[in-house]
Amino acid sequence: MTKQLKSVSILVLGIALALAGCAGGNGAEPAGETPAAPEPAAEQPAEKPAEEPKEETVEPFTVSLRHIQIGEAQKFRKAILDDVVAATEAEIPGLTFELDGVEDQVNRFTKLPAEMAAGNPPKIFDLFGGTGDALKYAAAGRLLDLTPILAELGIGDKFLNLSQFTLDGKVYGLPIGGNTEGFYYNQAMFEQYGIAPPKTWEELEAAAETLKSNGVTPFAMGSKGAWVPLMMVNTMIGRYAGPESINGFLSGSAKWNSPEVVAAFAKYKEWVDKGYFTKGELGLEYADMLNQFVTGKAGMMFDGSWRSSVFKDPEQAFDLTGKVGYFNMPAVPNGVGDQSFVNGNYGNGYGFSANLNENELKAVKAFIKNLYNDEMQLRGLLEDGVLPSMKLSDDALSKVEDPIVKEVMNLMKTAGGAFSHFDSVVQSDVYKESEAQIQKLIAGQASPEQVGEAMQKVQDTANASQQ
Amino acid sequence: MKDTMRHPGVYALFVVPTLFLYVLFFVYPMITSLVYGFTDWNGLNDPRYIGFGNFAEAFGDDDFINAIYNNIVFILFAAFVQVPLIVFFAILISGVKRFQGFYKTTVFVPSILSTSVIGILWGFIYQPEVGPLNRALGWFGIEPIYWLADMKWAMFAVLATNAWQWMGFFIVLVLAAILAIPKELNEAADIDGASGWHKAIHITVPLINPIVSVVIMLSIAGAMKVVDIVLVMTNGGPVGSTEVMASYMVTKAINYGEYGYGTALSIVIFVFALLLTAIYQLLVVRRQERVEL
Repeated sequence: MTKQLKSVSILVLGIALALAGCAGGNGAEPAGETPAAPEPAAEQPAEKPAEEPKEETVEPFTVSLRHIQIGEAQKFRKAILDDVVAATEAEIPGLTFELDGVEDQVNRFTKLPAEMAAGNPPKIFDLFGGTGDALKYAAAGRLLDLTPILAELGIGDKFLNLSQFTLDGKVYGLPIGGNTEGFYYNQAMFEQYGIAPPKTWEELEAAAETLKSNGVTPFAMGSKGAWVPLMMVNTMIGRYAGPESINGFLSGSAKWNSPEVVAAFAKYKEWVDKGYFTKGELGLEYADMLNQFVTGKAGMMFDGSWRSSVFKDPEQAFDLTGKVGYFNMPAVPNGVGDQSFVNGNYGNGYGFSANLNENELKAVKAFIKNLYNDEMQLRGLLEDGVLPSMKLSDDALSKVEDPIVKEVMNLMKTAGGAFSHFDSVVQSDVYKESEAQIQKLIAGQASPEQVGEAMQKVQDTANASQQ
Repeated sequence: MKDTMRHPGVYALFVVPTLFLYVLFFVYPMITSLVYGFTDWNGLNDPRYIGFGNFAEAFGDDDFINAIYNNIVFILFAAFVQVPLIVFFAILISGVKRFQGFYKTTVFVPSILSTSVIGILWGFIYQPEVGPLNRALGWFGIEPIYWLADMKWAMFAVLATNAWQWMGFFIVLVLAAILAIPKELNEAADIDGASGWHKAIHITVPLINPIVSVVIMLSIAGAMKVVDIVLVMTNGGPVGSTEVMASYMVTKAINYGEYGYGTALSIVIFVFALLLTAIYQLLVVRRQERVEL
């Protein structure tokens, strides 16, 4: 008996050890990618003296640049950034950018807040707009006022929407692009089961039911990061409670515990209970959601338009390359307000430290000039499917060939308007509460009504403390 | 040496630099965190003094109470499951004649791996669809269990991983104590006709009691401070079912930007850990006079 026990435990340990080797290797990979700085930096000194012989010898200096373009799905964006970095380095003598790639959520919710608190953020960093991010940091004096720079470069009026980065009339950040959110669907699978892209809510639920009855998960979902299911819930709120409700939470004209908003939570919960989402979604990451979809385990996926470039890349989409369609969330029965609105945002881009010396300011100006122009905006749109954040001519826009991007742009054009993510509107406390509550809802720990009540309680407190 | 002792100036020369560094890196941060614990501070604006507000909030905070409860689960698991298993395995290995060194090394290895590696490794083992654990269960016709995504199982999954990581370290400690027991005692028992388990229960266990007490105390202290494995594996989820005090503190301070509240929580954790270990010291360890910590 004891001998057996021993050999079994040794066997288990042995296997575990062997696995540890593999897992360790995989785990180390993303970290290895991060400090990707040196390549463009290396070319630079060779070019510089030739180009600018009249320039006196300048002290070399570095400017830190935090970006979130890590991993396979972001490679197109990273390429654009690399080109901008190289161009800017060539332009400013002595400049070397120090690129620091950090995962989006880690940057937004862990690293950047800590750096802001300590007062030592990178000089240039990925930044989200809204009350919880850009406006909070701007109010604390941590962000560079970009208004004079925009005026100097003459691009101040070129942006489609700077509202999420504007405080007291001053601009504190620049969105790199826009996005909308909707359903991606597997065209081959829809054909196989005779489903047409849903135009109405009934058709959508019927499609889900058909997929379910054929043993396919209707909607891929990874809810370990609560913002992922919140994308869908957010859009449902915009449908059930109307586009105005999103901004209304802050002003008090909309209530989380109103029947309309609760209806949105209830619908999500209904879908959870019906098994429409990936099983074990609370343990799955955002990346797992994409895997579910591209491997054909799920027929649909609710995600941002920023994901579209994945589906033209065979290395990421595999058999699904070019076989993905996109549709807007249909109108809900008895929904409040204009049901053609899209969930649209100009919320993610770059911010700059308020603490810059003369050289760094020059670098920042050149960086803005090189990144925020028609050429790069068009590249972002064509290569990466990111909607422009700046006005582009119809001529430029007509160059889009990617069917998903075309569809997205078409949907935006025909939409009655756009409502924002509530995470860029409401206070951080409220947003954090929504993350906790949505997971409780999914786990069956709270009813839709309880979620509404809990949210409104936090919203009331946050609103009261603001006045 | 004698001269040094006679001249306080020279003595100070040696002590002051160390003392300075100690104050700079330990005393000063502790005092500042004590101060911030009494303020409302989001890390950006100026801290605002609010007295015991944070502490009052902590004990009315359901999520924090839930985290305390989970810490207690960790402690109970350590004391009543981990420690008996540690003693069991230590006795088992001490009885092995061949390859003892190999066994010792094997059980010890998990404790030299970094927690992140262990978290990823076990995340793979627990993977619901392709993970080896569910595959093995599948052979017995058991439906896949969503170990880290199911509120019923997540805590157990983390506890098991944590135990796997640290048991080897303690097994080696206990094993050393067992091997230090004089051979004559066991030989005498053999002559008296005692069986293996009789010997273990009546000779080995009483004799290693002091070291087991220490292991229990270290386990309790460890269970109070546990955080890394939780952050790597579940980040407190799903829905707070694996949230412990320290992970809650990290979430509040860093992710929510409530630095004042976060530091207050860290003070609470510190006091709890101090109290628990002190009580255990006084009640159990002190009575076994030979142990000095």
